[in-house]
Amino acid sequence: MLVAPGQKVRSRVAWRGMNSLVGAALFVTPLLMLVGIWAIVVPLFNVNPRIFPSVGSVAEAAVAAIGDGSLIRHIGASMLRVGLGTLLGVLVAVPLGIAMGVSPAVSAFLTPLFRFFSVLAGIAWIPIATLWFGYGFGAIIFVIFNAVFFVVAYNTLLGVSTIPMTIRNAAASLGAGRWALLTEVLLPGALPNIVTGVRTGLGFAWRGLIAAEMIATNVGLGYMLFVARDFYRTEVIVLGMIVIGVLWLFIDRLLLVPLERATIERWGLVRRT
Amino acid sequence: MNIALKFWSGYVRATHRWPIIATIVPFIPVVAIWSIVANSGMFPRAFFPAPVDVMRSFISLTYKGILPDYLQDSLIRLLFGAAIGVALGIPLGILIGSSRLAHRICWPVLLFFQAIGDIAWLPILLIWFGFGLTTMTFVIVYTVLFPIVLSTVLGVQSVHRDLARAAQSLGASPMRVLWEVTLPGALPNIITGLRNGLGYGWRALIAVEIIVGTSGIGFMMFDARRAGSTVEILLGMIVLGTLWYIVDAWILAPIERATGQRWGLVTS
Amino acid sequence: MKTLSLKNLRKTYFDPYAGSQVTAVQDVSLDVEQGEFVSVVGPSGCGKTTILNMIAGFIPYTGGEILIDGNLVKGPGPDRGVVFQSFALFPWKTVLENVGFGPKMRGVPKDERDRTAREYLALAGLSHAADRYPNELSGGMQQRVGVVRALANNPAVLLMDEPFASVDAQTRMTLQEELTRIWQERKPTVIFITHDVAEAVFLANRVVVLSKGRVLDQIKVDLPRPRVWDQLIEDETFKRLSAQVLQMVRAA
Repeated sequence: MLVAPGQKVRSRVAWRGMNSLVGAALFVTPLLMLVGIWAIVVPLFNVNPRIFPSVGSVAEAAVAAIGDGSLIRHIGASMLRVGLGTLLGVLVAVPLGIAMGVSPAVSAFLTPLFRFFSVLAGIAWIPIATLWFGYGFGAIIFVIFNAVFFVVAYNTLLGVSTIPMTIRNAAASLGAGRWALLTEVLLPGALPNIVTGVRTGLGFAWRGLIAAEMIATNVGLGYMLFVARDFYRTEVIVLGMIVIGVLWLFIDRLLLVPLERATIERWGLVRRT
Repeated sequence: MNIALKFWSGYVRATHRWPIIATIVPFIPVVAIWSIVANSGMFPRAFFPAPVDVMRSFISLTYKGILPDYLQDSLIRLLFGAAIGVALGIPLGILIGSSRLAHRICWPVLLFFQAIGDIAWLPILLIWFGFGLTTMTFVIVYTVLFPIVLSTVLGVQSVHRDLARAAQSLGASPMRVLWEVTLPGALPNIITGLRNGLGYGWRALIAVEIIVGTSGIGFMMFDARRAGSTVEILLGMIVLGTLWYIVDAWILAPIERATGQRWGLVTS
Repeated sequence: MKTLSLKNLRKTYFDPYAGSQVTAVQDVSLDVEQGEFVSVVGPSGCGKTTILNMIAGFIPYTGGEILIDGNLVKGPGPDRGVVFQSFALFPWKTVLENVGFGPKMRGVPKDERDRTAREYLALAGLSHAADRYPNELSGGMQQRVGVVRALANNPAVLLMDEPFASVDAQTRMTLQEELTRIWQERKPTVIFITHDVAEAVFLANRVVVLSKGRVLDQIKVDLPRPRVWDQLIEDETFKRLSAQVLQMVRAA
């Protein structure tokens, strides 16, 4: 208690730095424990490798898949599809959502439509997408695009329509023109919803991607898993599952969650959906 | 008065009296445009059928009993899986939410397994259980479980510390605190989790039915895909969308709001 | 007869930010008679809320002892009713169910506990609100419910932690007057934590001034009851006592 103010602040900063390291260690420890259990249980019960692989065989599979470049190729294909589909979806959805949200009457009218389509987003489009675009890149991009598009558009619409009229009026009375109103009020005001929409949409898109790759292509993580099943190569399947899990953890926790937190908590706005 | 304005004001008043109108009317122009495009011959009819064709197929499949049967199969699978998911998820969530040690250990594991996602389990499940109900149920339970556990944990943690203290100082035992304070306090979050879980759950179901299926709406759509019957794919999508819209907008969302609002817990 | 007695109470804890042991309560001894109303005042950080939380049993104490009717305190229990600054009403229970919660935990049948709850609600003038949810009441009404909920459980000591700090000034005065009236009717033993000097003097028989985790001084308040703001605000004794306590708090 009897510490000089400056000193206290410095130790606090040092503690924060320590804290994030400790936090990372605390996060990883249970997962390592899980790997430990796995390493003990599989040889102990002499589990058939066609049922569940040992840690060693998964590691070997990883080395082999990295060595021949196939893992990188599958990851690259999946990430390219998700990235491109999401980018297209967001680029089309945000301007459209804002345009529709500007008028309360229009947004009220269109809300059920977008709700309907965002409910349908993702996997349900796989059959028709493969019919329209054939098996391959186009169909998968389409599935991801519409998983992201409808959810983001719906959330943008929601975000813009919940910006209080008083804020818009305040901006207008301070001399904001149409363009300034858009860039200074509507876009930032809807941003928390947009980010939430992107996170939800990407969640659907990621699952849609894995499903679509199992059904409709010959490269990508989903395909890698599904082909391995044909040969009972459980070590490749488990490797693929771990890669999928780690990739999504990185995308979600290191990219989307901080983004969401930054916009929502910073501005003291409450998450609406 | 301008005739368009008059029409608009009539519409607004009608939607105020019968809110369902506001849900249905916006779909009319969409169906109309769809119909015009399909009839214009821009795309081959087999590739891009008209609303009439979908309607005809709806009637015939309903009449033959295929559609109701498939729908029933899908719904029973979803409900069965969801029930197991809830039964496992709520106790797990309460445990993890109320113990710091359990939270430390389980939280990273939970996030990781959630990140793997339901559908990535399919290949290994097919090896373990083959093409059948066990595989489907496993996937749905898996899908529903995580949103429920995660939001139950959040719910338990969001219960104000003073509430538990108040109950204790009024003589409540730990079990009573759990039942009278923790559980009701976490309920709005649990329902949100259930809503999200079911949302992911039926998507997973469609994927599983496509890959594993021998019946169900997903199977119907993919079977139609194999036969090149666009009409039945569209029909499946519309049935799914409508059904889930009704469940979500008219059942789950109102329950979510009802629990939170009267208690003043939801800040929406 | 002593209802509550603190003997050389001490509390230290580890502050991870400062990276060292912090002493919140140094050495506090205090005896409270049955039916006494004791206010505890002090500047923020003097340890008053920590002491209340230890008496309530919410946090463990590092040294010394706390006795209620001669029994050592170990954890929370129904012999000590608590009124919280945050009200802490159960949002999913009606007002009646909130007030009947304590008796319910003792296994009192529903009819009887409803009767008890209604009786206490009448005491606070809340009979009309019995079937409403806390969220539907004003802050002042919520805290009235908080007070009678604690009283309805017949605790040996009523612990109040800045209960009126989060209501508006007008309501606060009304609540203070009501509290003195209820106290006169029921004569519960009360420990009342506050940082508002006038409030402390207005309510109590005795004001305890805390500073840096120690009892700095104690002052008897012999003002006549019932106490009403309109009279006391001009009262010379009240003014003198308030000024005296204020000086001690500011010097603390």
